[in-house]
Amino acid sequence: MNGAPGSSNSPPAERAGLAGPATNVAFTPEQLAEVRRLQGLYPDKRGALLPVLHMAQDAFGWISLEVEEYVAGFFALSPAHVHEVVTFYTLYFQQPKGRHVVAVCHNLSCYLAGSRDILAHVQRRLGVEVGETTDDGRVTLQSVECLCACEAAPMAQVDDRYELNLTPEKVDRILEGLR
Amino acid sequence: MAEIVLMRNFGRQDSHTLAGYRATGGYGGWEKARTMEPAAITEEVKKSNLRGLGGAGFPTGTKWSFIPKNHAGPVYLVVNADEGEPGTFKDRYLLERDPHALIEGMLITARAIRCALGFVYIRGEYVQPWRLFSAAVKEAYDAGLLGHGFDIVVHRGAGAYICGEETGLLSSLEGKKGWPKIKPPFPAIKGAFGQPTIVNNVETLACVPPIITRGAEWFAALGTKTQGGTRMYSVSGRVPKPGVYEASVAITLRSLIHDLAGGVSGSGRLKAVVPGGGSAAILTADEIDIPMDVDGLKNAGSMIGSAGVIVMDESVSIPEALMVLARFYAHESCGQCTPCRESTGWIYKQVHRIVEGHGRKDDLDTILDVAKRGGGTTICAFYDGAIGPYISYIEKFRSEFEALCRS
Amino acid sequence: MPKLTIDGKEIEVEAGTNLIEAARRLGIEVPHYCYHPGLSIAGQCRLCMVDIEKAPRPTIACNTTAGDGMVVHTDTERVRDTRRSIMEFHLINHPLDCPVCDQAGECWLQIYYMKHGLYDPRMVDEKVHKPKAVPLGPHVMLDAERCILCSRCVRFCDEITGTGELGIFHRGDHSEIGLFPGRDLENNYSANVVDICPVGALTDRDFRFQVRVWYLDTTKSICTGCARGCNVDVHVNRRRPHHAEGRRVARLKPRFNAEVNAWWLCDIGRYHFDFVDAATRLTAPVRRNPGGPADVTWDEAVAGVADALRRYPPEQVAVLASPQMANEDLIALRRVLETRGIREVAFDVPPTALAKDDDFLLRADRTPNRRGATLIGLGGDAGGLMAAARSGRIKCLWVFHHDLLAAGWPAAEVSRALGRIETVIFTGTNANATSERAHWVLPAAAWVEREGTFTNFEGRVQRFRTALEPLGQALPEWELLGRVLVGLGGTAAGRRAEHWFRELTGAVDAFAGMSYQSLGDLGRLVAGATASGLPTPPGQRASAHA
Repeated sequence: MNGAPGSSNSPPAERAGLAGPATNVAFTPEQLAEVRRLQGLYPDKRGALLPVLHMAQDAFGWISLEVEEYVAGFFALSPAHVHEVVTFYTLYFQQPKGRHVVAVCHNLSCYLAGSRDILAHVQRRLGVEVGETTDDGRVTLQSVECLCACEAAPMAQVDDRYELNLTPEKVDRILEGLR
Repeated sequence: MAEIVLMRNFGRQDSHTLAGYRATGGYGGWEKARTMEPAAITEEVKKSNLRGLGGAGFPTGTKWSFIPKNHAGPVYLVVNADEGEPGTFKDRYLLERDPHALIEGMLITARAIRCALGFVYIRGEYVQPWRLFSAAVKEAYDAGLLGHGFDIVVHRGAGAYICGEETGLLSSLEGKKGWPKIKPPFPAIKGAFGQPTIVNNVETLACVPPIITRGAEWFAALGTKTQGGTRMYSVSGRVPKPGVYEASVAITLRSLIHDLAGGVSGSGRLKAVVPGGGSAAILTADEIDIPMDVDGLKNAGSMIGSAGVIVMDESVSIPEALMVLARFYAHESCGQCTPCRESTGWIYKQVHRIVEGHGRKDDLDTILDVAKRGGGTTICAFYDGAIGPYISYIEKFRSEFEALCRS
Repeated sequence: MPKLTIDGKEIEVEAGTNLIEAARRLGIEVPHYCYHPGLSIAGQCRLCMVDIEKAPRPTIACNTTAGDGMVVHTDTERVRDTRRSIMEFHLINHPLDCPVCDQAGECWLQIYYMKHGLYDPRMVDEKVHKPKAVPLGPHVMLDAERCILCSRCVRFCDEITGTGELGIFHRGDHSEIGLFPGRDLENNYSANVVDICPVGALTDRDFRFQVRVWYLDTTKSICTGCARGCNVDVHVNRRRPHHAEGRRVARLKPRFNAEVNAWWLCDIGRYHFDFVDAATRLTAPVRRNPGGPADVTWDEAVAGVADALRRYPPEQVAVLASPQMANEDLIALRRVLETRGIREVAFDVPPTALAKDDDFLLRADRTPNRRGATLIGLGGDAGGLMAAARSGRIKCLWVFHHDLLAAGWPAAEVSRALGRIETVIFTGTNANATSERAHWVLPAAAWVEREGTFTNFEGRVQRFRTALEPLGQALPEWELLGRVLVGLGGTAAGRRAEHWFRELTGAVDAFAGMSYQSLGDLGRLVAGATASGLPTPPGQRASAHA
């Protein structure tokens, strides 16, 4: 254990450009160094699997099977065990996602505050169902469990931000800002 | 109004910075604790009657004392910042507005349990809290508070409610699916990476510095006979002023709703309250004159859990509310134990069918029977949490469900 | 050693024994799915609940170690009720397709439903749908809807083979076992996941739809796939001969032997029985004249072979015995050789390619009885023997099993040697290029058609028993050798394999003191041998993957 300071993740990279299918899956030398640093933070390097998958998603746009195999290699894991992890958690995308992700909370407090109407409004505005991405690759829509901002229900997570106290008008403004 | 302990710095613009924290006496607890014997710290926390504020309400000092005395290898401290209980948002506030209180609490706890490495497991969706907390950790390193016998690794989750269960969290921290671990062995004996581990909630550890600074007696006196201190109540739903409120654990649910959160909005008439996060059994309008501590809720047949209070007025459909929660449990069951894996999905289908108007009255008996039979049969408490709403919503509001059924 | 009470009976067990095993020793079965004694404890099926006095509610037996003074009840009303509930949970999403499921008849969902379930089904909603009939590799078929997610197969690939091919993906009631997309389950132990699957989720592609399990008979036997001698059960179908196109051997299943193979069996060994029911089986004695082959009676064949052995001086006669032969056959052969003073004998015919061991059970030596053949004194210089044949010194050669034309010798040289031999005698189960050149062919019963013993690589003598009648007129080799011995004026040891084994124990010191009875089901080591025991499974070594 090197006891290095800091956080087990680098900040999510800017999600620039179309997140198409991952090809040429390979980290840069800087990213490889970051993988090694993360692995060094844990008593067993496997502890860094979730952070490295976050990194990989930021780097490659989504977690393809190719990415799973690539990441498995850093941990001497069978790809099946990486696949178990990727399919267990909701934040790893197994399909290409839009440039932005809008995740509308549908749990109890948001439901009480009208999240169903908000979700319906977003669906109408984007012309997609939950789980789908707009044809222009701009937005992927999700409906998610409690994001723990119930004091500001209804709410949604838009990429890294929490958007609180949503109204149809506020939703429109937010969606317009997503390019 | 009770003394404000945990949210004392929230009003400051710079509350998330080291300077802001120090300006209000921050790290004074650590300065004192570092001169104390580890056992004395644990003793002080035991005397304070601090009980875990993440959900289970286990006495914190007692938990620390389960670490084997003569363990040769490392001991780990893991902070559960995987806040996910529906209706709860207090830890988000602490991570964003008073991150150094957690760091100081970790430093003191680490000394008590002779631990050199701590992990803070923050739910993956909490990007802003993670950034702010990570920045505070960096400041603490720069100031020499960390890195001299105690290190902190900040770990991001990836989206799974079950990782808020302490052994599910440990599996996840180890780079696996968040499947809770079979017990025994318990984490204090064999936890993260196979070593003795203490898992504490964010808010629990934020209580530790003031306990050390101001003494166990002071803290104990803030609460009830069996639970010391104040705690942060997350109040949401049909109230005019939803938000996080700090109050003595002796406050009544009625007072919390009416005096702090401004009463009941919507129709204005209270129908029901979820008192301790989604997994707590629901209370009816005439069950709210109870103290909001661990035992008060237990005596009322519910649980304080994470102290997430969700208020429902007369216009709320209880069957729909249960459907929302049943969907949540079906979605979040990790799938490891058969009773939970199979019946969370089954019960959701049944409640959904009832809400859609295709239910039969005996479906209600089936749900109740299935829920009761599955209780206490699984590795972790997730399913026991799920059956709280299944049973209480139907038993307390059965006529509302029956009205939706065909026969 | 903790002493505890289970259902009113006291028992003392080794420290660390769990309650399932402690109860088993008292003859009490605690029902379970995910627990397997060869794998780590998962505790996820929740079926093995028992009541422990002073515990507030039923506890899983698999993860509870026996404690001194513990009082356990496996059959209280509360336990029965809990089991009934757990059975219902296991079955609500199960397709209940027993009529078309190969596992029917040996399915632990069926067995436990009848024993511990018997509730009235209440599930009226749409079940969860998952992939069906998914080939997981050359040997295993997956039906994910039948799977109860006990994780035995996943743990097997992690903890035994260390290959980690399988995982449980997704969560909640959408959890399903599977492979990493695009990969196969093709380690040499893949079919063991079928054995340990308690339900019909993983079935054997070779066995699928061949025969209903209730028509099968089981016989204790030994795998002949290599020198380890893994203990197996042979499952044969004699009752429905019209099923499976006349195939009699339905499958081999590993049989527990802690010292040899534990619960496991490699795929190479498991499927090494095709030859038993193959079209190439030799079913009648044959004499090949210049005019062509002709079936003869055993009396004619035995007389002809005895005549040949007598006609040639012993130095013109050679024998290539086989490590496929049982100890009983080998001692009978030795008696024949002794009667005629024949010295030119060997059994080690080189294979075309050297096989390799697989780092666990499978040995590089793919024969079951090399150690026995060596101990019985039939070792010799096979190459020298063939050189003598080429030079014309050998006039009569008796070959057991080998196809010399498909061995690690140049086929042209072998062909030239066979051409110079006046009388070639072949004994074996199946025809091959060598048997086609033989003047006398004496058909041998396959190992499943007779009884006997093999001596494995470490010197463990293990019995195999008769599962089937010999095909056609085939005879166990000890018997045909005994007849030849009588034809030569000698005395056969007896009319049963056991008599020949007794002959062996008197003749070869290494076997002294053994009897079929003392070998029991698990075998005994020959004098002077040291047991090497079960190798550590690859998945449990320090370098293990997964």
